Amino acid sequence: MTAVSRAWGRLTLPGKVVFTIVPLLVLLTIALVVAIGLFGTLVVDILIANIGIVRFVVAVTIILLLSPPIAFVIIYMEMKIIALMNLRLGPDRVGPWGTLLSTVHGLKVLMKEDFTPTGADAVVFTWAPVVVFASTIMAVLVIPFAPGLFGQDMNIALLYFFAVGGLTIVGLLMAGWSSFNKYSLLGGLRSAAQIVSYEIPLTLSVVGLLILAGTMSLNQLVELQGPHLDAATGQMTGAWFTDWFVFRQPLGFLIFFIAATAEGNRTPFDLTEADSEIVAGFGTEYSGMRFGFFYFAEYINVFVLSALTVVLFLGGWNAPFDINGIFAWLNSVQSVVTFPTAFAWDVNPAAVGLPLLFIVALAPVLATLILGAPFYLLRSSTKWWHAILIGFVLFNVLVVGLLLVWAYVNFEWAAGLFWFLGKTFAFVYLFVWLRGTLPRVRIDQLMGFAWKWLLPASLLNLFVTAAAVLVIGG
Amino acid sequence: MSFVPGLGMAKGLFLTLRRFFAPKATIRYPEVKADVPHKFRGRLQLLYDEWGTLKCETCFQCAQACPVECIDMGGMDTKGRYHVHWGAPETYGERREESALRRSGRPVPDPAYDHFAPIDLAAVDAVLDEHDHDPAKMLQILEGTQAAYGHLPVAALKRISEATGAWYAMIYGTASYYRHLRFEVPAAAAQTAALAERRPSETAYGSALDAALSGKRPN
Repeated sequence: MTAVSRAWGRLTLPGKVVFTIVPLLVLLTIALVVAIGLFGTLVVDILIANIGIVRFVVAVTIILLLSPPIAFVIIYMEMKIIALMNLRLGPDRVGPWGTLLSTVHGLKVLMKEDFTPTGADAVVFTWAPVVVFASTIMAVLVIPFAPGLFGQDMNIALLYFFAVGGLTIVGLLMAGWSSFNKYSLLGGLRSAAQIVSYEIPLTLSVVGLLILAGTMSLNQLVELQGPHLDAATGQMTGAWFTDWFVFRQPLGFLIFFIAATAEGNRTPFDLTEADSEIVAGFGTEYSGMRFGFFYFAEYINVFVLSALTVVLFLGGWNAPFDINGIFAWLNSVQSVVTFPTAFAWDVNPAAVGLPLLFIVALAPVLATLILGAPFYLLRSSTKWWHAILIGFVLFNVLVVGLLLVWAYVNFEWAAGLFWFLGKTFAFVYLFVWLRGTLPRVRIDQLMGFAWKWLLPASLLNLFVTAAAVLVIGG
Repeated sequence: MSFVPGLGMAKGLFLTLRRFFAPKATIRYPEVKADVPHKFRGRLQLLYDEWGTLKCETCFQCAQACPVECIDMGGMDTKGRYHVHWGAPETYGERREESALRRSGRPVPDPAYDHFAPIDLAAVDAVLDEHDHDPAKMLQILEGTQAAYGHLPVAALKRISEATGAWYAMIYGTASYYRHLRFEVPAAAAQTAALAERRPSETAYGSALDAALSGKRPN
């Protein structure tokens, strides 16, 4: 017992929290499964009656589980892309093409000493990264990933997003203040000043869009940019990318993007933790996993801001073109090939009958042999087991590709997720590209730009949009 | 044009995008090793910066790495307190006079650089043309070059290396093998005689070698 209590005493506060919550969650999940098994419909009925709460809990769990992989992917992208832009190779040792390096970094951070400096306000010091991380995670909750694939569909989602995103400042100030270090305090105040300044043009730049759309729900905003029933004409419109808000609010988009860059503490506005200049800003005294939380939060913030840009201005989950419309038009023009205009790929495995068994058993073997054969036959230096390995890998690639295509065609959410993630990671690339290119601005340039240029520009955008709506009538 | 807002940013972004797709400069060292000619020896030289201060920090890394221990060096630490050295004690020299020359503000002549002085390459090119840029005729090329310049300047050797495609180290090896080829400006005749006076054994060895090479028995 003493060993357990000693180990417990060695844990830091976040460690104690995690070691309490995780077993509790596991127990609760097991209890839920057992309860469903024992009482069946009764439990399911209770769950359906409280679907809001269930949805929230499931969404939060999934987002918490998914956020580290997202951060890892973005960190890897950042390392690799900037390296390639510097004519270096970047990470290439751990895992294929170095893809596991950020994971290893994460593990390293976990194993480092979690140090609290003497004189620091331990409670605030411990909770600051939690606040920063939580505010970022909570923002993910309202982002619509695909049709039906979102945490919560609030009618004030955008407002919620900005409110929760503003909580980051509190966390950064807590970190700066509680570190008992004047440089941390300076860094915290700097970052607070920066984020507060850029929050205003960020919010104002979206108001013009809200006037046009008439809703704050992110889901409805995305639907307005996709195929939808036009209230004025009573016809279906918006299957093409021309209906995206970026073409109706170009200035708003520009301001939003610049302000988002500053909001996410990205280059050229990353003064708060300019790692080459001011130690680490508010994070100077942090180490181990608490530092890791700031780091994670920063990269998830990049993802969240890219996602929000895509949702607001670039059509969210909508495809940029109407493939069925193109096929219908092609069919009307020519009669040589008939393109299917409504995709439905109904596979009924039961209809195949007994041969299904043979297909399932033989297809992998045959496909491996057939796909590997050309490599064995055409190059005499290929060893037979190399050829089989290549064939097996090709077979897997083929099957996974076919599965993805099948999912894309059959499920709306798969297609939506594909377009949403594609656009979002294009924006992540843009953020990284900017970091690989631009030098850092000075603090006075930073402030001057926000107040003297972005704020008037966003007000102008707002007034012009409002006037246009008044004159044209929506 | 330059006052168009965002133009500089666009230029920079375009540049980084081009770099993104450009071939990479990294050499993956343990897997890929540089193609070094097998006669490569290199030329040891201490470099000065533009204020005349020796760039050598007396870190001894070169001496420690030298496989045949041919590098000896000595010096003080940066405070001038210790007299540290690597190698046999009788061979180490003094380290630089810290910043005395730097304070003088004048560039310091370094005779080591004379070897690398740019020269008029027309004579080498003529010799190379005469011999078809053929690395197989290296000896003739080198003799022609020496006839033109009086010795073999480094720039001329580099030119020959470029033009014939032979490794510089190979040419250096060839040139250092034949005793009638020289890298230095020939000294005055009296000085040469004095030198020969001081090294009779070498001259004797040389004549014996000549005799052996020409097929005569030594007498």
